[in-house]
Amino acid sequence: MLLLLIILLPLAGFVYLGLAGKHLREPLPGIIASALTGASFLLVVALSLGGGAAWEIKDWLPGIPFSLVLDPLSSYMGLVVTGIGFLIHVYAIGYMHGDEGFSRFFAYLNLFIAMMMTLVLAGSYPVMFIGWEGVGLASFLLIGFWYTEKKNADSARKAFIVNRIGDLGFLLGMALLYSLFGTLSIAELREALEASHVLPLSLGLAGFLLFVGAVGKSAQVPLMVWLPDAMAGPTPVSALIHAATMVTAGVYLIARSSFLYVNLQDVSYFIAVIGILTAAYGALSALGQWDIKKIVAYSTISQLGYMFMAVGVGAYWIALFHVMTHAFYKALLFLASGSVIHALGGEQDVRKMGGLKKYLPRTHLHGLAGALSLAGFPLLAGFWSKDAIITATLNYPFGGTGFYIAGLSVAFLTAIYAMRWYALVFLGEYKGDAHPHEAPPVMTIPNDILALGAVFAGFLALPKPFWNLIEPYLAPALAHVEVHHMSLGLEWGLITLSAVVALAGLYLGYLAFTRWALPKWYLTFQTWSENAFYVDLAYNAVIVTPLKELAYIWSLLDGALDTFYVYVAGVSGWLGERLTRVQTGYVRAYGALMVFGLVAMLVWGVLR
Amino acid sequence: MSYYLLLSALLFAIGLYGVLSRRTAILIFMSIELMLNAANLALVAFARGSGNLEGQAMALVVIALAAAEVAVGLGIIVAVFRARSSTSVDDLAELRG
Repeated sequence: MLLLLIILLPLAGFVYLGLAGKHLREPLPGIIASALTGASFLLVVALSLGGGAAWEIKDWLPGIPFSLVLDPLSSYMGLVVTGIGFLIHVYAIGYMHGDEGFSRFFAYLNLFIAMMMTLVLAGSYPVMFIGWEGVGLASFLLIGFWYTEKKNADSARKAFIVNRIGDLGFLLGMALLYSLFGTLSIAELREALEASHVLPLSLGLAGFLLFVGAVGKSAQVPLMVWLPDAMAGPTPVSALIHAATMVTAGVYLIARSSFLYVNLQDVSYFIAVIGILTAAYGALSALGQWDIKKIVAYSTISQLGYMFMAVGVGAYWIALFHVMTHAFYKALLFLASGSVIHALGGEQDVRKMGGLKKYLPRTHLHGLAGALSLAGFPLLAGFWSKDAIITATLNYPFGGTGFYIAGLSVAFLTAIYAMRWYALVFLGEYKGDAHPHEAPPVMTIPNDILALGAVFAGFLALPKPFWNLIEPYLAPALAHVEVHHMSLGLEWGLITLSAVVALAGLYLGYLAFTRWALPKWYLTFQTWSENAFYVDLAYNAVIVTPLKELAYIWSLLDGALDTFYVYVAGVSGWLGERLTRVQTGYVRAYGALMVFGLVAMLVWGVLR
Repeated sequence: MSYYLLLSALLFAIGLYGVLSRRTAILIFMSIELMLNAANLALVAFARGSGNLEGQAMALVVIALAAAEVAVGLGIIVAVFRARSSTSVDDLAELRG
């Protein structure tokens, strides 16, 4: 029952703030929403310490119970969601200060937390799908939060429609699993899979379809186009939904279904390939962006690609480790960006920033911690988790050297663009004309905590021979994977290599974006990267425009059909008008008609 | 027998003509009575021709109904006259389509 409260508390906040929020004075809706999210966090902590929980309604749908489960995996993810969520709620009290939709914003945020926790706690796929759709809705509402501008509303619709493609995959995958095993409960599916020696042939298809769902939600190639546009929402939304939590739902889904994917080598390989492609695409596109939030958004795509590479090679716990560290440093990067935007009165173009180190000392530290952690600066959180992923490509069952080299190259790019972001925003001379002011404590304190996480969270899981708290904790909820043993020397050699790569990337980035005049070929690349390699353009040309043309043709046909029916109706109307002439209103005329009718019937009757 | 029926038909035709040609409600009403009685005559004639009493019983029922109809019909005519000070049915043409 307490388990249900984790979802119900934020949901109650959504209902209350949605209905009555308008009558509350400013900081109050934010405080209520933050308190409820904090209460959810504490509940997750308490229940996790109590050893987990489960709750279900037996006959929710015929044969499908509504089940919630708090096992190590969901409590881990739940801690990330509610913990980071709470900090971002608090930050948003400062960030959304004076906004007309202040209470509406917090109502949506609470809705998001409720739905995300439904997704995380779900013990069966249909329940997870409710949360899956719910977070999609919350994301849609929050991207289009400032809906009076058409661009924002368009971005919201784009996110929703692209997600829809993935959701279809999820639905079909569920249907296929149900037809194969007759159950959608995750625990029962796991038992069934582990008990059966012969796997159904279409299991691979089911796994692939579920992965399509994850691709949509986690903005992987080829459905990554919605995430950069999703930056149209307020910055706390970008931090919470489009960096720390919702977009990692795809990784969570795959990890939840790890017992399925561990049997599917081909699909896993495919996932890893998509992951590394996405990582490379995100990193290359991040290099050329000029919008402070879009740089971070593309880096999110890239980092999500890393996570998918990790689940693809079978390193499920490492993917979740990266989910956690990424949640810290990416939320921090977004919130620091938010503080910068806030300080400059809404300016988002990095070309009009620079030199903010002097004006925003606190935020500068946050940005530095986030960027270094993202870049994989040795000993920071991002370093440990990213290095774990890159190493995992060598010793986990579905990996390979190709993944290793690609992963390392992308890590190099990551360091460069992280440095570029930091250098353009904080180093050099200020190039804008606003008067920057440091953010209020309600915004800086959550960032302080996130910065601590971004620096130290990696120490939860260190490579051998040091301690690793996360792997044994998550082990019971994940599929067992055979890992090739790697000698300590080799492992630490690889770690040193990735540290060197990160440092080299950072140094190169520092030189390139503060000292050097950039060469000509780079400027060409810059243009391509700035437009994200024209994927949007290609999609518009290949898919969107033809669909619009088709819709136009159908609308013409529809119009023709309408015209036809309008004419039919017109003829009936005209006939009716003629017929009313018979109704003269004169009694004698009616009488005469009656007589004629009677005579006609008589004559007909006699002659017949 | 056929004389009775001929008379009945003649009366009916006269009544019908009256209904169709007169404008005054009272005259139309009288014509309807004429038609009813023509029908009564035919019923009685048939009853006599076939030798049972059913037709005559039917004629009695018709007479009773006609009495009721007269009461209602005259009532309507009086009401209409009060409202419009006219009994011409052509003035009552509000239902024209």
